[in-house]
Amino acid sequence: MADDKDVLRDVWFGRIPTCFTLNQDEVTEREAEPYYLLLPRVSYLTLVTDKVKKHFLKVMKAEDVEEMWFEYEGTPLKWHYPIGVLFDLHASNTVLPWSITVHFKNFPDRDLLHCPSSSVIEAHFMSSIKEADALKHKSQVVNDMQKKDHKQLWMGLQNDKFDQFWAMNRKLMEYSTEDGGFRYIPFRIYQTMSDRPFIQKLFRPVSPEGNVHTLGDLLKEMYPTALPNDGEPKRYQVVIHGIEPLLETPLQWLSEHLSHPDNFLHICIIPTPTD
Amino acid sequence: MQQPGLRAPSREGWKRDIVRQLKHRDQNQHAMFTDLIRFYTQLLDKTSLAKGILSRSARRPSADSSSIMTLLHRNNQLKKTTGELAYQVVELQQKIKIKERFWRSKHARLSEDERRAGAVFDARQELQQRVEQVQGENGALKMEYDALLERQRGAETRLREENLRGGHLLEDIMHMKKQAATRMNSRNERKSRAREANLQRELQSAAKSKVTVDSSSAPTSRSTSPKNQNQERGHTRLFRSASATSPRILSPSKNCLNKRRGHSVCSLEEDLSPVGICLYARVPVRARQVLEAHEQGINAVRFSSSSDLLATGGTDRVIKLWEVRSGSLTHRATLDGSTEGITCVEFDATGRRILAASYDKSALLWRLDDPVPKLTLTGHSRKVMAARFSSFPHQVVTGSADRTIRLWDLQRAACVQVTEVASSCSDLVCPENCIISGHFDSKIRVWDTRTVNCVQQFPAQGKVTSLDVSADHRQLLSCCRDDCLQLVDLRRWSNNRVCFRADGFKCGSDSTKAVIR
Repeated sequence: MADDKDVLRDVWFGRIPTCFTLNQDEVTEREAEPYYLLLPRVSYLTLVTDKVKKHFLKVMKAEDVEEMWFEYEGTPLKWHYPIGVLFDLHASNTVLPWSITVHFKNFPDRDLLHCPSSSVIEAHFMSSIKEADALKHKSQVVNDMQKKDHKQLWMGLQNDKFDQFWAMNRKLMEYSTEDGGFRYIPFRIYQTMSDRPFIQKLFRPVSPEGNVHTLGDLLKEMYPTALPNDGEPKRYQVVIHGIEPLLETPLQWLSEHLSHPDNFLHICIIPTPTD
Repeated sequence: MQQPGLRAPSREGWKRDIVRQLKHRDQNQHAMFTDLIRFYTQLLDKTSLAKGILSRSARRPSADSSSIMTLLHRNNQLKKTTGELAYQVVELQQKIKIKERFWRSKHARLSEDERRAGAVFDARQELQQRVEQVQGENGALKMEYDALLERQRGAETRLREENLRGGHLLEDIMHMKKQAATRMNSRNERKSRAREANLQRELQSAAKSKVTVDSSSAPTSRSTSPKNQNQERGHTRLFRSASATSPRILSPSKNCLNKRRGHSVCSLEEDLSPVGICLYARVPVRARQVLEAHEQGINAVRFSSSSDLLATGGTDRVIKLWEVRSGSLTHRATLDGSTEGITCVEFDATGRRILAASYDKSALLWRLDDPVPKLTLTGHSRKVMAARFSSFPHQVVTGSADRTIRLWDLQRAACVQVTEVASSCSDLVCPENCIISGHFDSKIRVWDTRTVNCVQQFPAQGKVTSLDVSADHRQLLSCCRDDCLQLVDLRRWSNNRVCFRADGFKCGSDSTKAVIR
C-alpha cells in the first residue's frame, strides 16, 4: 500500500524540463533568451506558462502580442492534452530539455483550441472528470460531490497541491468490492501514426469469467498492433506517464494509480526508437 | 484505492517494475534539471534586473560616470582584497597541514603509549599472580613448619622425661653398685684382716728376739739372705710397698688387680737418727690405720719432708693430701687437674709445692693450698713415669715412657732440654749433682745435670721398676722386675751392690716401688 502512495506521488510530481524559445519570426526589441521551466506532467500548458509569457513579453512590443501558442518541431501542441501526454507522444526519446517554440502570432485555428482564460481549462478539466466517473461509477460519485468538492479538485491541480487534490479524488477511485473494479475503465490510447486523435472504448476491468484484465488484454482488444508478435522485437512502446508498465499489469490498478488528475488513463503508443 | 488484500507474487513484479521506472524517469527528467533551471531563472532575473538598472543608468550617463569610477575603484580594491584573502587562505591551509601532521604524530605516540601501558599492566597482573602464588606457597610452608615445630616440642618433652628416667635409673644403679662395693669392701677387709691376723700370729711366734742396735752407719755387707736376715741387718728398712696397678698399665705382663679398693697404709716407725742408724727394724705387720683413700688404685705415696703431710696419687686422677697426726690421717685437700692417673708424686724441698707425673703425658705442679695446678708441663709424647725436683732450683726432671728425659724450667714453664734415651724411663731420682734414671732395658743411667750427658750406666738385674735414693744421697735402691732389690753405693760406683731377694716378694708389676727409709 505504501508503494501505491509512492506511485501516486511520483505520478503527481512528475516534471519535464522544457526550454521555451521564442520563434525567430517574432518581432522582438532585443534578443530573446530562452526560458527554462520544469513543467508538471499532469497539468496543462496554458495553466503553467504564465512566466513564459511574461518573460517573452519583456522583449516584445505589446501590440505584437496575440494569444500565445506552442509548437514542437512543427507540430502545434494541443493545450487540452496533459503536458506529459504531449511530451510522451512527441518528444519521448529526444534529448532533454524539451524544446518548445513559443509563438505569439499566427495562431493555428484548425489545430488548436483557443484558451483565453483559466476558466476554460477548468471547464475542460471538470468535464473530463465527469466523463471518467460516468464510465467508472455511472456518475454517481461525482454527482454526489458538492460544488466545493469540485472546486477543491480544480484548485488542487492548479496550485499543485497533492493532498488537497487526492482528498477528493480518492472518492472517485473507490469501488464496491463485489464488483472487483470500476464499471468501465476510462482510458484513451494516443498514437502518432494515424489521424485518429485517440482511441476510447468501453472496457471492463474484470472479464465475465472473473479474470482480471491486464494492460495487455486492453491493447489486444483495442490496438493489437502495439503488441509485439512472438519472436519479433518490440516495434512500439506503450508509454504511460513516461514509463512502460509491464503488459501484465492489472488494468484496474493502472486506472487507480496511473491515471491523470482528470481520472483518465492516457496511453501513448509510439514507435520504438531505432538507434 | 481499495485493493483486495491478496497479493500474488506475480502482481508484485509489475508494481515493482512500475515503481522502478517512475523513479528512473524522475531521476532523468526531473532531478537533473531542477537546480539548473532554478539557477538559470535566478540568473535571468538578475540579468534582467541589471539590464533594467543599466538601461536606466544609460539614460543618465554623465551623472553616473563618477559613480562608475568609484565603482571601478572599489572593484579594484575588492580584487586586491580578494587576492590578499586568497593568500591568507593558502597560508592558513599550510598551517592546518602542519597542525594536522603534528596532531597525527601526537596521536601515534599516544596510541603507542597506550599500547605500552597495556603491556605493562599485563605484566603487573602477571607479577601479582606470581606474588599470590608465592604467598600461598609460603603459607603452606609455614604450616608445615608449625607442624614440625609441634612435633619437635613433643619430642623434646619426651626426651626430657626419658633423661629424667635415665637419671633415676642411673642413681639406682649407682646406689646398688655402692652397696655391692661396700659389701665387697667389707668382705675384702675381713679377708685381709683374717690374713693379717694369721700373719701376725705366725710372725709373733717366730720372732721372739729383738735385735740390738749397732752404731755402724754404713752397710757393710750385702748378700742374699732369706727374709729373716733382713731383720738382722744394721740397717733396717721398712719396706713399704704400696703397689697398685691400674688397669691402664701394660696389660699383657701382669696380674691386674682391678679396682682394688683402698689400701692399707702401714704405720711408720721413724728413724731416730737420720744418719742411717736404725734403732730397730721391724717388719711392719700391723696397719696403724686403714683408710679408704682413693676411689681407684693408688699409684704413688709420698711423705713431705716435714713428715706431717702425706700425698697420695692414683688412678682417679687426683692427689689427696693427708695430715699425719699421732698416727692417724685426716684428709686435708684434694688436688686435681690431671686428666689421667697420677704415676708419681713428690714434694719439693720446702714442702710447699707438689709435683706429679701423670699418664696424660704431662707433669703438674701444685702449690700446696691451691687445688688447681699452677703449672702444667707438657711435651712428652707418652705417659710420664716420674717427675722430680732437680737439685737445681726451679728445675724439674721428668722421665717418660716415650724414651726421653726432659728438663724443665719452672720459671718459664718450658722444656729446657730433651734427652733421648734408649729405653723408657721408669723412675728418676735426683741426688745432688746428677740425675739417675732407671729404664726398662735393665739399665740404670746416671746423668750429669749440667750437660745432661750419660755419665755412667750400669746394669740392673732386670727391668727397673723404681728407684729411690737414700736421704744422704749415698745409696740407691732399685727395684727390678726379677724380684730383686738392689742397693748401690753412689759414691763408689763400684760393683758393690747388694741384692735383696726374698721369698714371697714378687715384683708384680712395672710400677712396683721400693723406697729407702
